[in-house]
Amino acid sequence: MRELRFDDVTVHFGSRRRGVTAVDGVDLTVPAGTVVGLVGESGSGKSTLARAAVGLAPLSGGRILLDGEPVPRRGRRPLRMVFQDPYSSLNPRMTTGASIAEALPRRTADRRAEVARLLDLVGLAAEQAGRYPGELSGGQRQRIALARALAGEPEVIIADEITSALDVSIQGTVLNLVRDLQRRMGLTILFISHDLAVVRYVSDVLAVMYRGRIVESGPAEQVLADPQDPYTRDLLDAVAAPVHSGHQADRGRNP
Amino acid sequence: MARRWAGVLRSPLGASAAVLVAAILVLAVLAPLLWTDAATATDTARISQGASAEHWAGTDSLGRDIFARVLVATSLSVRLALAATAIGVVVGLLLGTAPLLVGRRAGRLVTAVVNIAVAFPGLLLALFFAVIFGVGATGALFALGLAIAPAFARLTQTTTARVAGLDYVAAARIAGVGRFRVLFRHVLPNVAEPLVVNATVAAGSALLAFAGLSFLGLGVQPPDYDWGRLLGEGLGAIYLHPAAALAPGVAVVLAGLAFNLFGEALAKVLGERRPLERPVRRTAAEPAPDDSAMLVVEDLRVAFPGVEPVRGVGFAMDRGDAVGIVGESGSGKSLTALAVSRLVDESGEVRAERLSFLGADLRAGPHRRLLGTSLAMVFQDPMTSFNPTMRIGRQLAEVACEHQGLGRAAALDRAVDRLDAVRIPEPARRAAQYPHEFSGGMRQRAMIGMGLMGSPALIVADEPTTALDVTVQRRVLSLLADIRAADDVALLLISHDVTVVEQVCDRVLVMYAGRIVEDLPSAELRSRARHPYTRALLAAVPDMTTDRSLPLAVIPGRPADPAHLPTGCAFAPRCPLADERCTATEPDLVADDAGRRVACWHADIPVEVRA
Ligand SMILES: Nc1ncnc2c1ncn2[C@@H]1O[C@H](COP(=O)(O)OP(=O)(O)OP(=O)(O)O)[C@@H](O)[C@H]1O
Ligand code: SF4
Ligand SMILES: [Mg+2]
Repeated sequence: MRELRFDDVTVHFGSRRRGVTAVDGVDLTVPAGTVVGLVGESGSGKSTLARAAVGLAPLSGGRILLDGEPVPRRGRRPLRMVFQDPYSSLNPRMTTGASIAEALPRRTADRRAEVARLLDLVGLAAEQAGRYPGELSGGQRQRIALARALAGEPEVIIADEITSALDVSIQGTVLNLVRDLQRRMGLTILFISHDLAVVRYVSDVLAVMYRGRIVESGPAEQVLADPQDPYTRDLLDAVAAPVHSGHQADRGRNP
Repeated sequence: MARRWAGVLRSPLGASAAVLVAAILVLAVLAPLLWTDAATATDTARISQGASAEHWAGTDSLGRDIFARVLVATSLSVRLALAATAIGVVVGLLLGTAPLLVGRRAGRLVTAVVNIAVAFPGLLLALFFAVIFGVGATGALFALGLAIAPAFARLTQTTTARVAGLDYVAAARIAGVGRFRVLFRHVLPNVAEPLVVNATVAAGSALLAFAGLSFLGLGVQPPDYDWGRLLGEGLGAIYLHPAAALAPGVAVVLAGLAFNLFGEALAKVLGERRPLERPVRRTAAEPAPDDSAMLVVEDLRVAFPGVEPVRGVGFAMDRGDAVGIVGESGSGKSLTALAVSRLVDESGEVRAERLSFLGADLRAGPHRRLLGTSLAMVFQDPMTSFNPTMRIGRQLAEVACEHQGLGRAAALDRAVDRLDAVRIPEPARRAAQYPHEFSGGMRQRAMIGMGLMGSPALIVADEPTTALDVTVQRRVLSLLADIRAADDVALLLISHDVTVVEQVCDRVLVMYAGRIVEDLPSAELRSRARHPYTRALLAAVPDMTTDRSLPLAVIPGRPADPAHLPTGCAFAPRCPLADERCTATEPDLVADDAGRRVACWHADIPVEVRA
């Protein structure tokens, strides 16, 4: 496992004058073997940052480094991503085993055994390798997606809202799995979610993103106990007390 | 997949087209073997004769049997049509997938070229190529093939572009899968169906087009003959011996039709099934006179062929009540809400012991006006609830025009006022904007504003904040709470998120497998919930105090499948307290003195005693 570092990363969509700057000069370090949680509202640029890391979004500025080396943009990436929607992230025409095997390095000797090992790792029986995604539940698909991300021992895993499409009863299982795998294998994970409680549960370090920028980051306990940025405080207030009418004179009136 | 293809044969149209296509293909192979002699035997005694018992379609100028010639010509006609289609498909696939394989800039160039070529009429293109390649079968073949290519390329481009944007393609790229493998493993198999359908239809058109070219003398040259040439030869004497022209004509039409119909039938069976769109009905004013018991639901059942996803739900609401429904997906939350607002799909059957709203029996009559004026519905995805081509203000105003008979200007004023009421800043300017210019949270507020164009007695909100993040969610929820407090509007809030319901509602209904399994005040949810499912649900969701060093509690097994419910308690397969009684008989929903209800045989086992 290695350290992932975003160095002044900017992602701009559209032409220079019009268009949007989805990620605006982000500096963020994910130390080796830790989980960094990234929270922020929708449209704040979390997904774009994740996609930039794995080469799915073009960088307009800055660098993304693995242990100080630029991340290769072609071929096998040392970074893997797990996506939000377990229904669109697996090819419906391929067995789950084939999907996992495809992500293995070419020189892997016994691919079947390796696929079975990965399935076992995410708590599925080896027989599941022969099934198609359509026969699996959302939670099972998300486990397959995790197994695929772990194929070939990647350096870093990026998990983008991996539980938000799942039912609460299944969300817990997937979170337990992520936590367990991380501890056992010492994975480096950038864990993205809009759900503060979920991020708090899995992360060591917390980063808060707002309108394309990281507004606050630090050890999770510290950020939660003593938030510095007003947006972080808003976020914390929002998950706490019950909603009453007339509550908090609508400070979020800005569009 | 194979089953879907087989579905083609089940429709009468598809079956007959398939039989016809098969017959034509068999004929194309067998006819030259069986009837070449008959087709080439000249009989100088019978030149250019009409139909007779011996020569069903008459004879030609050399005395050859025309019927046999038509049969034998099947082979060349079909082969040429298929070859032209093959050329068109291969060229089309190459052009269509090029944008995925070559770089971005070259891809854009290819796309532009294809777009220009598509705008060219196909047959004109074919004539143009026929002139270039010279007159003859080979020239015509390439001409037709290249004429088919642009449309096919465009279809390939649009379908592959859609699939190439999906997450599993991204995942494969990240894993280092090469471009060609991505194309052949991930993209093409998932666009195969529309392409096959299109190629089949193209083959039918190629058959007709080829006959046309041969007929004009631009296609097959003597001594070879296909249907087009036979048609051309027969036409000279059509008034004397109509059968000589009719036979090849009928053959062309039949074969062309067979391919086209087969393609259509394939398209119908394989055609994209679009997800059900939920109709949205809007609201306007007119408070009803009597509202002692505003909403009464008793033994509500919603059934679809083969399943009954809602199995006897009952609850009542008064003015100003806030009731939440929680449960896993598939537990019947949304259907319950849709049944109350009479929006369940046509194919669903809604039955109830009682279903009354503001004193009116919703089971009798459509009650469009009552529901249209006194009930507001807010859906999960505010983007699909608005018409993207209409300004927000106009869409809100439309409601007031329709239900309250306001003039356009007055309705628009009201719309701006309502947008202000749901705290949209600069409402006048925002009213003139389109839905895509609103952020998710603003769209959801505008949707609520639409519900407030009148003065509803009940707002039914189905996962109104699921697509929003916490801070925006908070604003939408407190807006709903405000509206409720200000006008004594009742709120039925549906969510899979227990925390949201707990924060907003006074009462919580917990649903599992189509039934209410527990009903209790939300203040007592954490302390006094008695149903094992409710407790498991609460434990499974991490909150800001969850111990990070322990694994989260999980509910084992899978959510109940409404089509295959076990006998007895539906939760039994996942329940730690389940015993024989549970698996034998389903417990009723029983109320205690305080009005809390629970459906569990072991609800009285104190929480502390459980493991
Ligand atoms: N391909 C694109 N073209 C133009 N704009 C884009 C594109 N992708 C993202 N954006 C814009 O970039 C901004 C950030 O988007 P992004 O999806 O990264 O946010 P997010 O925080 O992940 O949101 P969510 O939590 O809803 O997934 C948004 O304003 C979005 O509209
Ligand atoms: S009735 Fe039995 S199986 Fe059902 S929830 Fe109660 S204890 Fe569990
Ligand atoms: Mg996102």
